[in-house]
Amino acid sequence: MELLGYFVNALTPLNILMALGGVVLGTVIGALPGLSATMAVAVLVPFTFTMDPATGLIALGAIYTGAIYGGAYAAILVNTPGTPSAIATTFDGFPMAKRGDGSLAVTLATLASVFGGLVGGVFLLLLSPPLAKVALAFGPPEYFWLAIFGLTLISALSVGNTLKGLLGGCVGLMLAMVGVAVVGGDIRFTMGTHMLLGGFDIVSALIGLYCIPVLIDLVATPDPHLKVEQGNRGIRLREAFGIAWSSKFNVLRSSLIGTVIGVLPGAGGSIAGLVSYSEARRSSKHPETFGNGAPDGIIATESANNATVGGGFIPTLVLGIPGTPPDAVILGALLVQGIKIGPTLFTQQGDIVYTFIFGLLIATALMLPAGLLIGRYAYKSIASIPKTLLVPTIAFLTVVGSFAIHSNLHDVQMMLALGVIGWLLNRCGFAPSPIVLGLVLGQIAEQGFVQSYLIGNATGNLTGMFFGRPISLAIVVLAAFTLLYPLVFAKRKEKARKRALDAARNFTDSDGETTLAVADAPKPGFEPFAGVKKLMAQPRDAAGMMLSVLLIIVAVLAFAQTSSMSPMGSVFPSTISVAIVVLSIVLLGLNFLRKPAAKTAGHGAGEESSSRRYALVAVMAVWVAGVPIVGFGCMAVLAFLLLARISCYEAMTRKQILGEAVAGIVIVGGLYLLMAEVLLIRMPKGLLF
Amino acid sequence: MRKLAIAATMVATLISGTAFAEYPEKTINYIIPFNAGGESDVSARFQQAYLEQISSQPVVIQYMAGAGGAQAWSQLNGMEGDGYTIMGINLPHTILQPMEKDVGYETKDLTYINFFHYTPNALFVPKDSEFKSLGELIEYAKANPGMVTLSGSGSNSANHLGQVQFDQLAGITTTYVPFSGTGPAVTAILGSQTTGGFNYVTSGVNNGDGMRMLAVASENRVKAFPDVPTFKELGFDITGGAFRGVAVPNSTPEPIREKISQMVTDVNNNSEFQKKMEDAGFVLTDIPYDFINDFVAAKSEEYRAIAEKLGIANR
Repeated sequence: MELLGYFVNALTPLNILMALGGVVLGTVIGALPGLSATMAVAVLVPFTFTMDPATGLIALGAIYTGAIYGGAYAAILVNTPGTPSAIATTFDGFPMAKRGDGSLAVTLATLASVFGGLVGGVFLLLLSPPLAKVALAFGPPEYFWLAIFGLTLISALSVGNTLKGLLGGCVGLMLAMVGVAVVGGDIRFTMGTHMLLGGFDIVSALIGLYCIPVLIDLVATPDPHLKVEQGNRGIRLREAFGIAWSSKFNVLRSSLIGTVIGVLPGAGGSIAGLVSYSEARRSSKHPETFGNGAPDGIIATESANNATVGGGFIPTLVLGIPGTPPDAVILGALLVQGIKIGPTLFTQQGDIVYTFIFGLLIATALMLPAGLLIGRYAYKSIASIPKTLLVPTIAFLTVVGSFAIHSNLHDVQMMLALGVIGWLLNRCGFAPSPIVLGLVLGQIAEQGFVQSYLIGNATGNLTGMFFGRPISLAIVVLAAFTLLYPLVFAKRKEKARKRALDAARNFTDSDGETTLAVADAPKPGFEPFAGVKKLMAQPRDAAGMMLSVLLIIVAVLAFAQTSSMSPMGSVFPSTISVAIVVLSIVLLGLNFLRKPAAKTAGHGAGEESSSRRYALVAVMAVWVAGVPIVGFGCMAVLAFLLLARISCYEAMTRKQILGEAVAGIVIVGGLYLLMAEVLLIRMPKGLLF
Repeated sequence: MRKLAIAATMVATLISGTAFAEYPEKTINYIIPFNAGGESDVSARFQQAYLEQISSQPVVIQYMAGAGGAQAWSQLNGMEGDGYTIMGINLPHTILQPMEKDVGYETKDLTYINFFHYTPNALFVPKDSEFKSLGELIEYAKANPGMVTLSGSGSNSANHLGQVQFDQLAGITTTYVPFSGTGPAVTAILGSQTTGGFNYVTSGVNNGDGMRMLAVASENRVKAFPDVPTFKELGFDITGGAFRGVAVPNSTPEPIREKISQMVTDVNNNSEFQKKMEDAGFVLTDIPYDFINDFVAAKSEEYRAIAEKLGIANR
């Protein structure tokens, strides 16, 4: 009953206003790639000092949960995760939007996020102290295996193209190794530059790898970005409810996975989303729809990542260990306010903690109406905005977003370079997702491995460290299951097909009478190389071969550099470079054995405009290079106008062009102000402005 | 002619006098070269309100994380030197980083203004650990070389230096296990993944009774933990941890540098600020602008000796 009292405490008008305002602000910030929840929370911290502690916390928590939800918008509408938590949302969200189901996808994401958030919040309310123990049971080996589990998703994501998927994953892992190593302290693969000392930032890589290819392809054709929906079907709430209800186990499972992974201080929303996506795919009756716009993919990711919000507060409040970066900021805020963290917080300062938790639950619930309302306009505006505005706006967002992460132009340069490379790789059949997976999980895997090795070696129990711990073993089994699943699934499908065939034959043989399966049904011969044969039947892939050669060269160079590193710092990079060489050689060998591709009329590139693509890349390169010389705002407006011309396919009147210019200045100006004045990011200064 | 010269000097002093006397007259940007939520951020947040009080100007905290702080420090001298851009600065970071490799700045390139606190290293074990005192841990480590695993934040960090010094002075061999930050390193101790760990005293405050602090590497006992002995009391000359302060771009005029140093010192003298900082486990110190270069030089020598043992003094 005491709890009920706290609930009433949370229901003050000010608290509700903070919750609603926080959720809306968070959603907007989360939807803009590069602008993160951490940033928004950090900016608001000083304001909360003037408030009652519980009210301040509610505002911060609401922004945080809103931002995690908002990440889905960018993922669904422009194929770019607004926050790393929404990586797996892009897999099915964007295909759905492309085929005209964008508003359904957004509504599904909203429902899933709200439910996941509520589940995480309820666990935070009722089971915090026992769940905090989970965080402590997870040691280095568990993190290592969790990262490996995440990497097994590559095999599922690249069915039919496993070799390239694995190579992509290795490339991502290699990118994660760049910079100063946490374990060992070696400086790896910076090529003597200061720019790479900090490594590749995950958010800037996400923006580059996902968003730049979208832009490049967007200008190449006059086709609209998203298919416009037929008729006015609104937000399709009823339909979304129906889908979510029929996937209730998926929703529940993903929310639970999200909560538990949220509790782990070294994991976070991106891993929670990937793991529950992988689990949803494995347990689905139609795994082949995943990646092609399966609603279940969105449901799994979005319920899991919002559940991490509540889950992440558990170690923060109980142990004083922040579960995620925004938690770290909130923990700092509590400290400055003089609130003592720890198990006693719940008993001695229950009024603050429980009021806050109820406030967080209220904020999550308010996300439903707020999200549906925002979603209604977000999809419509992205689908109906003319290309001449859409392309420059997205381009501007990529630059702004990658700059905002560390107020550093290096991140923008890396974003653009990775984006162009990612587009080229995609053309050669290397999808961006395995690379991103490698990049996100590489550090966790490496640190977990080296730490486990150090501890295991010191205590003389190396095997026990890696294979003797129950949680580790459970994760290993799950990982093996996911890895082998595509094979098992293919066999199962084959069997089902055969059964159906046999049944049909029996039916005809017996003139309609059902009989038991006939014994003399022709057994297919044992063909262990059937898969290989199928692989060989494909035409030779010249681009892939060229790339393999390139990768071999890079990997050999990288391997040569590992000899000067400490043993701790070299074990991962050297293993990965060997893997790259081996995989590349296999890919190369396979292609040599294949027949050359028949000379067809290119890629049917007739309707696509390569010159516009080059122009877009050139304008963006000049833009990024010009910022420190000329100025941020000035270059942005200039590039905006140029990109609008590049993406223009029809004759426009002078009035329209003028309107476009005004719109450009308003968009650039508005976002500039948001960053410089609201989020207090240091903007680069050039000669002009 | 002479009169003219005197007049010119007078005018010049007058102009510069008025120009600097007014400082500060607009928002001061305080850049933290790390992510929000860490010790550097939290201590700057403690300062923020009092700095605003003293300067009657808003103080805005901005973040420029990357490469363990090197990203921001290497850009510091390119920023406007008008006193409205100040940056958090940390030791041993700004000494060890350039000593080990070319990170885009040198220790002596930076303009240090004032170190206002430090977080001493402390040796922690989990609360249910068999080791009740430092002596017991050393005894066990002597009998089992390498078996004791100690977590810490990162390689070649203040925590790592503490472990190296400890091994050397106690004549033992322990295994240092680097983690990606103070948070994960503390988690490893709380969950008994490692025997114990070197971490900052502030971590002991956050994590309440989950850990036992065996010894602290400060000159005197820390106010937040009056029962924990110092390494010195126990016979090991280990004092160290991370010092935090402020720096400015090298184009900042002398009078403004002194004024900023005075502001930081004034905040340190505020008893309310002192209480908040000490409750959170920070140890206040006051190394103002006049002494700071000697202090950094002395520290550089001290760290170089340890860095050479670690084999990271490459430059």
